Amino acid sequence: METYQENLNVFLDLSVVLTDFSSYELQGTGQLEAYYSTIIDVIGESNMVEVLDAFTLAKTNANGNETELEKQIRIQLLSNDKLGPITRNIIKMWFIGNWYQLPNIWRETYGAYEKDETFVVSAIAYTEGLLWPTIGSHPPGAKAPGYATWIDAPQISKV
Amino acid sequence: MQLHQVETEHLHPIETVDDLKFYLYTAIQLEHATIPPYLTAMYSIHPGTNKDVYDLIRVVVVEEMLHLTLAANLMNAIGGIPDLTGEGFVPSYPTYLPNGETDFKVGLGKFSEETIDTFLNIERPPLPTDSLKGGSKHSFGLTNTKRSRKLLIPAFKSADGDELHFYSIGEFYRAIGDGITKLTQELGEENVFTGDPSKQITPEYYYSGGGEIIPIYNEEDALAAIRLISEQGEGHDGGIFDYEGELSHYYRFQQIKLGQYYHEGDEPNAPSGGPLAIDWDSVYPIQSNPRITDYPEGSELKTAAMDFNIFYKNFLEQLTIALNGQPDQLISAVGGMFRIKEMSYQLMRNPISDDNENTGAPTFEIDAIS
Repeated sequence: METYQENLNVFLDLSVVLTDFSSYELQGTGQLEAYYSTIIDVIGESNMVEVLDAFTLAKTNANGNETELEKQIRIQLLSNDKLGPITRNIIKMWFIGNWYQLPNIWRETYGAYEKDETFVVSAIAYTEGLLWPTIGSHPPGAKAPGYATWIDAPQISKV
Repeated sequence: MQLHQVETEHLHPIETVDDLKFYLYTAIQLEHATIPPYLTAMYSIHPGTNKDVYDLIRVVVVEEMLHLTLAANLMNAIGGIPDLTGEGFVPSYPTYLPNGETDFKVGLGKFSEETIDTFLNIERPPLPTDSLKGGSKHSFGLTNTKRSRKLLIPAFKSADGDELHFYSIGEFYRAIGDGITKLTQELGEENVFTGDPSKQITPEYYYSGGGEIIPIYNEEDALAAIRLISEQGEGHDGGIFDYEGELSHYYRFQQIKLGQYYHEGDEPNAPSGGPLAIDWDSVYPIQSNPRITDYPEGSELKTAAMDFNIFYKNFLEQLTIALNGQPDQLISAVGGMFRIKEMSYQLMRNPISDDNENTGAPTFEIDAIS
């Protein structure tokens, strides 16, 4: 249980760096655990741990320097043949609420997991996508601002 | 905007239009005061779970908003000023309602059995007239107890100096209705209903919100509004349904307590409808009656909780403007309610700190904002 919480915290830290949304905003979507467990469910815990370990290494190498951290994230994660596509999937999941099937070359090299198909994580994941606050809009059909409020300036929360 | 400055700490029998205004100020405050506890419990439910419960609470809270608006229409009808912005308008939670010998707490808490018990207390039906304790000489649901605490419905002082309390919210409204009838008879309808009719909130500004809004121009309208408020709360004539055939608030909540729906024709306390699915664990572990000071200094949670209170204060100001001659403002105020929901969810999903298992929640500390 403790390891679970620790890993979840590392996943949150990683997500803050990948999305540029704050930890409060990310937790405010209520999707942290849902995305974390989706990854484990689709590609297994060992792949998840590998991503988290690479992030920890990137942080250690950066030693608190933000520019260096960005560089390290590119080296350890985004440019890594195995971890890059997973990392990009994490970003996409936060913004769109979808898991996208990993590229064919990844599936051929590292394994075609049965659950690795494109799907919407949950009905709520869609409405909580970071896409909406990023473009200054409400998710269509959800978080409705109320009848006739279209005459007013939008009131969009940061998340 | 001076009604909240009325000196008296006590209610007394309604003798003048000003007395009536004080009762109505209390009514508006009381209707509002139920909303933060209901919203807190409702939003603490994980979205997508406990749908039955969420919908039941939602119906009640929307009807409370209708009651608030009707009470404001009553206030405007008699030339008063509905004011949701005065100091003390939003109570400090937990607050208290009178409950016979002791008071019961009305607080901000997650959806739980204890919370539903509180809701049942808030919405309880009046005592049968033959079981009134202590104050049998008083005909309208007053019980005789002494307390020092500030209550949501102020104590009532009788002619011989006894301090009494309304046992239920319905009885409090009955006193308002009786007062309106008395004043209309004594002063004439045109001397009671002196308000500017353009300040009434009419159906074009208020739609699908828990029933029909009644614009109030005379005694008949006023009594119809009071009847709607009372019966949505406590049912018609001791029954579980109101005159429109809708289940009253008390029995709506009782369905959660008993885990079963009422069915048409059921007797009180014996629902015979289908089962109600409840998952008590699919709830955010929010802190009860939170305060800004409970949140760590410098944390995003604390900033967000303060932002919420500022937003809510502005929201009450906007409602007050809407209720004082600019009814079109009500439409964009309703838009603000969706923000309140989103901000609440964000607070409730964030742990207070690493070593605190509770999450945050709106504190509704409105007076603390300068």
